[in-house]
Amino acid sequence: MYDIATDHAPALSAAIVLLAFCLVFLRLLRFLAERQAGWAVRFLEGFDAASPMAKLAAALMLVSGAVHLALVPGHEGITGLLFIIDGLGFIALALAVFVTAWWRRPAALWLSATLVAYLVWVIAGWEAPDQVGIACKLIELIALGLVMRLKNPARAAWPRRLGRATAFPLLVSLTTLGIWIGGLAHPDALHAHAGAVLQPVASTATPEERAAAARLLADTKASLARYQDPAAAVAAGYKPGPVSDADPLLHFQNQANSRALLDPNRPQALVYARTAVGLKLVGAMFQMPRVGQWGPDPGGPLTQWHQHEGICFSPLGFEFSFETPFWTCPVGSGSITTPPMLHVWIIDNGKSGPFAAELDKAAQRQLTGRS
Amino acid sequence: MDQMTATDSRVEIAGVLVVLQASFSLVAGLSAIPFGIVEPGFRVLSVVTILVAAMMFWLARNLRRGRRWAWRWLVLAEVLSLTVTALLALLPIGTIRGPVPVLVNLVIPWAVLVLLASGSSRSAGPRPGPADPA
Repeated sequence: MYDIATDHAPALSAAIVLLAFCLVFLRLLRFLAERQAGWAVRFLEGFDAASPMAKLAAALMLVSGAVHLALVPGHEGITGLLFIIDGLGFIALALAVFVTAWWRRPAALWLSATLVAYLVWVIAGWEAPDQVGIACKLIELIALGLVMRLKNPARAAWPRRLGRATAFPLLVSLTTLGIWIGGLAHPDALHAHAGAVLQPVASTATPEERAAAARLLADTKASLARYQDPAAAVAAGYKPGPVSDADPLLHFQNQANSRALLDPNRPQALVYARTAVGLKLVGAMFQMPRVGQWGPDPGGPLTQWHQHEGICFSPLGFEFSFETPFWTCPVGSGSITTPPMLHVWIIDNGKSGPFAAELDKAAQRQLTGRS
Repeated sequence: MDQMTATDSRVEIAGVLVVLQASFSLVAGLSAIPFGIVEPGFRVLSVVTILVAAMMFWLARNLRRGRRWAWRWLVLAEVLSLTVTALLALLPIGTIRGPVPVLVNLVIPWAVLVLLASGSSRSAGPRPGPADPA
């Protein structure tokens, strides 16, 4: 669900380059300090006296600053300007850790303001949450947690101590929820529904692609005619998957077809609807062998593959939920991404069409009484 | 600048990371509750996850207070977490895709383990909080 935006990728390199630069910078400072350069001596004294916790907070703020500055070329207008201010601010605060005693409060405010601004941007739809943005927020959250712990809780009264103890978990939870809301409220064009990522395709189909899509549908319908009775599917090697109360559809899979590529005579799975009068064949599911390997799409945008990402799968009862933006699942379930799949619905699938990622809600309600 | 010892600092950093992990678990548990309406398994898993999150908050608090048993339980929890993630990563199911899952599910548990290991020589008795240099 959360990919790496193309124009954000250089920011990852910037973070690595920055860490290498810092090592060189420290060596240079030591060289200058040996030659009695006053400012280098003062900075190194502060650096050597700082605790590992303060050093880590400074390093994380530097990384966040570098990421923000590296993202400026891909962001115009007010966002780009704010990235410059934010990046320079983080670098200044990271240096202030070693030369001032008052850096904690400004750093906490700067980190909090950056997190809040990101949430406003993604919830408003001005920025799509991607893995670079989320990783940057993770770094800022850790830095904020460290800065907050550098205050002495023993000296404060209990309401303040309670506030400090709950503030950080609350900020982490609100940040997670905010990114999630932003991602779900403003899915990009390649997200059919939560968790399903569509194959990038051209916007319109050519006449040849329309003909190829019609041929695929006709061939699949002809091939599936023999499996109307689930017993025939079982006899042909298809095995029913686990039944879930949450899913009105039941997939029968055939491992012998796992290497076939969009072959109407050898679909990887048959899809049955669980109706009041038994199982009714509604379509086929073609699936590629590996995650991220899009299949052949003879119909262009009409036969668009999709893969399910950000899914928490529990083997207990074969159940699914959604991952948080920070890639965490409930205990007892694991994160999975399915290999790309293409459904061919042999019943009338309403406005969604015969190759939609999901069975149309109206068609599903008509068949199963559930949506 | 800071009067905190290196060992104290390591334990404090580990505590912050454990609180971060606990907060992530809390959100994961809470977000699974709606799925529990139609998926009975997730009713149980959401409650278990929230309890695990509460336990991690408690362990982080006791780690900072220098409790040896909290240190032991956290080492166990992080080793378990890393092992499960490593096993899932070996399967072709796309568990680890991109920097966020690497940071959250591999780097942070590993960092907590390293910090706990390097801070293990500290005394088990209670201690005051970090000093404010300001």
